[in-house]
Amino acid sequence: MKLSSFRYLVGQGFDNVWKNRVMAFASFCVLLVSLLLVGISVLLFININAIIGGIENKNEVIVYLLDGTTDAQITEIGDTLNAMENVSNVTLYTKEEAFEDLKQDMSGYTEVFDSLGDDNPLPDAYRIRVNDISQMEATVAAAEALDSVEYVSAPDSFVDILTEARRMFSIVAAIIIIALLIVSMVIISNATRASVFARRREISIMQSVGATNAFIRFPFFIEGMVYGFLAGSCAALMTWFSYDSLFELLSNFDALSAIGLGNIISYDTIAIPVTLTYVIAGSLIGALGSVLSTRAHLKYRAANM
Amino acid sequence: MVELKHVSVTYESTGVEALSDVNLTVEDGEFAFVIGRSGAGKSTLIKLLLKEIDANSGEVRVNGYNLTKMKKRKVPEFRRTIGVVFQDYRLIDTMTVYENIAFVLRVIDAPMKLIRKRVPYVISLVGLEGKADSYPSELSGGEQQRCALARALVNDPELLIADEPTGNVDPELAYELVELLQGINVCGTTILMVTHAHEMVRHFGGRIINISQGEVVFDEVIGGTDVEVE
Repeated sequence: MKLSSFRYLVGQGFDNVWKNRVMAFASFCVLLVSLLLVGISVLLFININAIIGGIENKNEVIVYLLDGTTDAQITEIGDTLNAMENVSNVTLYTKEEAFEDLKQDMSGYTEVFDSLGDDNPLPDAYRIRVNDISQMEATVAAAEALDSVEYVSAPDSFVDILTEARRMFSIVAAIIIIALLIVSMVIISNATRASVFARRREISIMQSVGATNAFIRFPFFIEGMVYGFLAGSCAALMTWFSYDSLFELLSNFDALSAIGLGNIISYDTIAIPVTLTYVIAGSLIGALGSVLSTRAHLKYRAANM
Repeated sequence: MVELKHVSVTYESTGVEALSDVNLTVEDGEFAFVIGRSGAGKSTLIKLLLKEIDANSGEVRVNGYNLTKMKKRKVPEFRRTIGVVFQDYRLIDTMTVYENIAFVLRVIDAPMKLIRKRVPYVISLVGLEGKADSYPSELSGGEQQRCALARALVNDPELLIADEPTGNVDPELAYELVELLQGINVCGTTILMVTHAHEMVRHFGGRIINISQGEVVFDEVIGGTDVEVE
């Protein structure tokens, strides 16, 4: 194909968007809604995942040491805990710190603490965090197996609930996103098919003057890409505006961060990948939808001439 | 050149035999009228010559191409050797007169220089100067017909098929069109004109091919009456 013909066909694609603006607008709207549905679902999934991750980080495991454990042993246990794969943030919580904290928490019972004198009944302990809470049980068992460890306290039931919630949410989210993708593809396919069908006369004229199928399809490809690009750009802008507004709103509630909602991802950190995904996905779906519909129409015509 | 040897066409959906053992030859440079009643098989003949349908039996040759054995990918190349004027003109509504005509040259990847030279020439040939930037909806029936003719001619086809081109215009314009076609024929283009207008055919005379119930029942050259149209 000559450069002039290529330029002509690209120009035809752009011209057709305007000339067939009613059908192009309908396809644009369908694509926009589909992109928004899928895009918002994915963003929701990512954020809920991040929130669950935030809640997970708040859980703490306490490794209590036997009374009489020497400083050298305490250090050795700390090193061993630090070396464990699933463990992060190992902090020594001495019996003295624990006793002071207890006194402060139970300030109304000073006579009880006075009666104890210098006797501190509390053990030394390590506060640790686990990276993957689904591996919590194995990590607790490994910590319990260490010498001089008396007892390990872990929020088992909470971890189970959280792990199950994340698993269920992942399955439900995946089903919803796949269903939305399928529905979107069907709607887009029908919209582009209607657009091609509306121009069947034009296609038949092109064929009668000797246009090849590739020549007929190319402007449709460009046309689909143009409204796909526009729909993707528009979806990115709408998502940006609504996401940012929601983020601002939620940021004003300090209480939300206490329950992990402070982990919502800021749009600034995902703006580029989200925008690129919208624009590329929109352009590809628009172009492919148009080409496949034109191809199906040409095949149908060839079979029914 | 058009050559049909023992050609039969039966539509599978209805079981109707549209053409039955047709033998026909139209030599290069000839002008022939194809006449016949509705349902006689004229449209089937045109579809056959444009490779829109295939014959059930027999052999069809047009402009050196054997349509019976032609592969699908060769069809666009073959169609570029033919110019067609349809009864409903089949102009692209979203293109101007110039664009509709230039489109045929775009399809064959013709150089821009040729397009700029050839399109204005055929526009003037059919008398549509001043209408190049008009859209089909802004043209009269006769102007649309001439635009369709210009489009059929722009590629300098070996064969021009006119499918009832005078069906939607008044008699005066119809006679003008046939005179225009005769002028084009003089320059060497083979012309096959399908029509219902028997009176007009008698007026001009020439080779008449009459199709009835799928068979060629008359194929002779007659003299014209030269009766003036009122």
